[in-house]
Amino acid sequence: MEHIRTTKVEQVKLLDRFSTSNKSLTGTLYLTATHLLFIDSHQKETWILHHHIALVEKLALTTSGCPLVIQCKNFRIVHFIVPRERDCHDIYNSLLQLSKQAKYEDLYAFSYNPKQNDSERLQGWQLIDLAEEYKRMGVPNSNWQLSDANREYKICETYPRELYVPRIASKPIIVGSSKFRSKGRFPVLSYYHQNKEAAICRCSQPLSGFSARCLEDEHLLQAISKANPVNRYMYVMDTRPKLNAMANRAAGKGYENEDNYSNIRFQFVGIENIHVMRSSLQKLLEVNGTKGLSVSDFYSGLESSGWLRHIKAVMDAAIFLAKAIMVENASVLVHCSDGWDRTSQVCSLGSLLLDSYYRTIKGFMVLIEKDWISFGHKFSERCGHLDGDPKEVSPVFTQFLECVWHLTEQFPQAFEFNEAFLLQIHEHIHSCQFGNFLGNCQKEREELKLKEKTYSLWPFLLDDQKKYLNPLYSSKSPKFAVLEPNTVSFNFKFWRNMYHQFDRTLHPRQSMFNIIMNMNEQNEQLENDIKDLESKIKQRKSKQTDGILTKELLHSVHPESPTLKTSLCFKEQTLLPVNHALRTIEGSNPADNRYSEYAEEYSKSEPGVVSLEYGVARMTC
Amino acid sequence: MLPRQPARGGGRRAVARGGAAAGGGPWRGRSGAREASSLATAVAPGPRVSSMASAPTSKYNSHSLENESIKRTSRDGVNWDLSEAVPRLPGETRITDKEVIYICPFNGPIKGRVYITNYRLYLRSLETDSALILDVPLGVISRIEKMGGATSRGENSYGLDITCKDMRNLRFALKQEGHSRRDMFEILTRYAFPLAHSLPIFAFLNEEKFNVDGWTVYNPVEEYRRQGLPNHHWRITFINKCYELCDTYPALLVVPYRASDDDLRRVATFRSRNRIPVLSWIHPENKTVIVRCSQPLVGMSGKRNKDDEKYLDVIRETNRQISKLTIYDARPNVNAVANKATGGGYESDDAYHNAELFFLDIHNIHVMRESLKKVKDIVYPNVEESHWLSSLESTHWLEHIKLVLTGAIQVADRVSSGKSSVLVHCSDGWDRTAQLTSLAMLMLDSFYRSIEGFEILVQKEWISFGHKFASRIGHGDKNHADADRSPIFLQFIDCVWQMSKQFPTAFEFNERFLITILDHLYSCRFGTFLYNCESAREKQKVTERTVSLWSLINSNKDKFKNPFYTKEINRVLYPVASMRHLELWVNYYIRWNPRIKQQQPNPVEQRYVELLALRDEYIQRLEELQLASSAKLPDPSTSPAGPSQMMPHVRTHF
Repeated sequence: MEHIRTTKVEQVKLLDRFSTSNKSLTGTLYLTATHLLFIDSHQKETWILHHHIALVEKLALTTSGCPLVIQCKNFRIVHFIVPRERDCHDIYNSLLQLSKQAKYEDLYAFSYNPKQNDSERLQGWQLIDLAEEYKRMGVPNSNWQLSDANREYKICETYPRELYVPRIASKPIIVGSSKFRSKGRFPVLSYYHQNKEAAICRCSQPLSGFSARCLEDEHLLQAISKANPVNRYMYVMDTRPKLNAMANRAAGKGYENEDNYSNIRFQFVGIENIHVMRSSLQKLLEVNGTKGLSVSDFYSGLESSGWLRHIKAVMDAAIFLAKAIMVENASVLVHCSDGWDRTSQVCSLGSLLLDSYYRTIKGFMVLIEKDWISFGHKFSERCGHLDGDPKEVSPVFTQFLECVWHLTEQFPQAFEFNEAFLLQIHEHIHSCQFGNFLGNCQKEREELKLKEKTYSLWPFLLDDQKKYLNPLYSSKSPKFAVLEPNTVSFNFKFWRNMYHQFDRTLHPRQSMFNIIMNMNEQNEQLENDIKDLESKIKQRKSKQTDGILTKELLHSVHPESPTLKTSLCFKEQTLLPVNHALRTIEGSNPADNRYSEYAEEYSKSEPGVVSLEYGVARMTC
Repeated sequence: MLPRQPARGGGRRAVARGGAAAGGGPWRGRSGAREASSLATAVAPGPRVSSMASAPTSKYNSHSLENESIKRTSRDGVNWDLSEAVPRLPGETRITDKEVIYICPFNGPIKGRVYITNYRLYLRSLETDSALILDVPLGVISRIEKMGGATSRGENSYGLDITCKDMRNLRFALKQEGHSRRDMFEILTRYAFPLAHSLPIFAFLNEEKFNVDGWTVYNPVEEYRRQGLPNHHWRITFINKCYELCDTYPALLVVPYRASDDDLRRVATFRSRNRIPVLSWIHPENKTVIVRCSQPLVGMSGKRNKDDEKYLDVIRETNRQISKLTIYDARPNVNAVANKATGGGYESDDAYHNAELFFLDIHNIHVMRESLKKVKDIVYPNVEESHWLSSLESTHWLEHIKLVLTGAIQVADRVSSGKSSVLVHCSDGWDRTAQLTSLAMLMLDSFYRSIEGFEILVQKEWISFGHKFASRIGHGDKNHADADRSPIFLQFIDCVWQMSKQFPTAFEFNERFLITILDHLYSCRFGTFLYNCESAREKQKVTERTVSLWSLINSNKDKFKNPFYTKEINRVLYPVASMRHLELWVNYYIRWNPRIKQQQPNPVEQRYVELLALRDEYIQRLEELQLASSAKLPDPSTSPAGPSQMMPHVRTHF
């Protein structure tokens, strides 16, 4: 690799930023083509994927060496002290180059090889089938049909090829409407509620300016409302703050005029734009301790970051949407400016509230594929996969995951997956290890031939399903058909396990989740023991009836009880390590988990207690 | 007895509805138990389904509130007198009843009938669409005010405003004509503040019987014996038998073997209120100790006392593992200095060579009281919405919790890992000191994490060592603004709750146990928290004349048990006292707000209980199979472990 000048630096110190006593680990730093690796004197490995690096900083030289601070997109912050400034400079420069690739082809996904053959790879990509998903929702049907208008990406480049529209909307209407919508993103079906016969549709803002109209667009909206046999009026949700929408009018864009459209109810819901969200996260990370830890103002810092307020805004919008469908039986059209950020958040979260299928592991993957990937949420730009415009980077998808996490907290039984699943997905939107999140829309992905050159994340997650199962999930309970979250202020909490996932000292000392998982494992073991014993008894009985009770047989039976005993004893020792597998979010590769060391390290102590040496307990930042 | 109110229309209607013919006023007629169960079933359909997302409807609110109160009363083991409409304890007598409008802060005005006894205020809704019930022990009331006057305008502007000690206010509107509120005001004042009217506190009238006697839970000699005391270095002294040495200390004290009674008397002169350093807890292995006391009387001139210095050195020498004794002064440094002006102070380096002093920066009772007031402001009746986090922070409540916990962690850490004996004091050694020693002991000694252990801890470190419950809570006292009031004990319980959140398997008791303790901290139903110190309690014969709260709890332990509890010996708990881990105890501070309704039962708990049951079933099955297989094996040496061996064997790690 031409960017790597130094591949190995010895005597590097890794500081623990939450330790008051300035404790550090000394070890060797290695730079590989894809990762930065630190191995400390206890042979513990810390791997950092270059793509995860958000920011590298070289601080002023100190007596002990040259400090190098690396901030990652997965909220890990590492603070190295490199003894020689020259080495530090080399590493710094290399990381700057390596963390910002210019071409897609240089991303990890194109070189990553999980030892799958081509047919397995293809199967992996076929795991999530959106046509199947629309069929599950009940479309096409008498009111909704598949449109071939965008089959060649002629009408809208950022939409998928296959779009569902009202049956009565003719192609000219669609084409006309698309010309009146920003980036050609005309209203299409996102979710169809079979029982209510109501639909969630999505689009971008109309090019209405101060007074422009478009008959085709008005027709298309009417067609959507007519496709709902129960309720003739529909909601149009503009997810932006009203002020922003009005400002857009000056640029020839804007929002629907209620007078021009029959049967619509127009509603602003006030979610801020990507820039506000980006700087909000920045502030949140300051609270999180990027720049030292100020103890006293954690809560006011959290509040002034506005982060939880934004989360609540997204949640409120989704609740409004779900309510419109459940209570009023009305169809809803959602848009923001271009219809790929806030619109994706609200549509997907709304569907999640309405449809329990999306709360399963597979269903959640489908949801992400549908509302985020296929409808052109610009993952590469928003996650900054390539060295691009920093103003396009925004944590829109992270917010979505956080909203889902808040729901899992409020409805612990309603989700098949657990927190680790969300964290793992978050890990991989940035890792560039799999093809799913590369590119900004389907067309671009096809051009990159991602399905031939890279692997899909989903089969790997499914293979590891066990790690992501929520032990409290009760799939059958009718209580959780539709979720009605409570958005009272104190229900919104700082997502410690996301923003502090690598700060071991801030991890809970004991996790209920792991205790339950252990209990599950233990019960399974017992169940197996019972089966073993039963089959042995059965075996023996049948032999006894044959009347061949020989001494030999007795011997063979003897070990039975000791085996049982040892198996129980054995369990006692292995019980703690059982949960090793539970939290390996860190590993950017679920298949060959070479990072498990670290994960192991911090799960080992559970359900026991992190034993702290003297003085460490005082560390109470 | 007061004359009954002539207007009993509501009551009569209710009687008719209840279907009992007996008549004879509102106190007869309906079967209370039946009423309760029918209400409960009316409530049964889950509230969540009915209303979508946003603000729940008023119906849902009232239902859940009512449901809760019913549950609580029956939970408390109160017997519903079948001939009456309200629950009554043995010894509880009714005083009056009246039709009022309860101004519910969540659902608006509700017409109801209020019943007042010498123990409680009980309100039942008279509206058909609301099943609201209020059941408030009078001890909870801190202040009763009249609102509006006979001529004030506006609907429901005339009535009573009641401030409670448990984070809520109650407001009743009455008819404006004929001084209708006067009776109610006077009766409530009299029975809520019996001390001002030379009436006994209800605990002395309570005739409840339990099959366990809570007063026997704590026996100091037994508890010290459990700790391995007396030993070569520590002795039990009865010098304070008649409370002559220190009137706020218990009769029985543990002091260094080498300190004579005369030494103790001399040390007492140099410690505020004679609260000399005595042992609270001894480490079973390294024999380091936690010793508690009050501040030394150093004063402005920097007085020294050789006996005190020597005494501390004797304490240090009881364990020879470290050269210095660690002194934790719970106060902020400046406060400790300021105390010199009033004759107090702290141990200086010059005088105490072999001691290290640290300040723990915990504020005084006045700061804590104001902090809790601010918490109430942001949670009752309405929860602050737009600036929740900064408002919460500005109350500083969690910050105080953090400091108390941090202090206790330091004490525990010093004793357990630092292997140094620790002396803890604040000013008088009955507020912050009690918090620190009891929390540190809870971290160090798993015995205190059991239900009985915790009762002993409270009984020992708080009640016997003279935390001034009477002054801090103001039982039966009408002076609501008394500067002695402070939520120190509540703060301690909050810290325990924070610990139980961080270590869900470490405590035998559950959240309900803690809330029950807090409820009866105020209720005056039990004698447990009455009076300031042991000598006063003895004088009033509290143990003979009242019932202990632990009788209630221990006679029905199951509902206070934490299903996750796993008994572990000798594990030290170090909670994280970071702000990122401390939470507002919503289930306590915001429990009156119907919006906090959580899923019942707790799904995690439910799942765990299911798994436990499954495991037991499996183990049993396994044993049966083993027996079945071993029965056919004549050789005894190969027989499998019997059930008695098996069970603990499997259980240990849980």
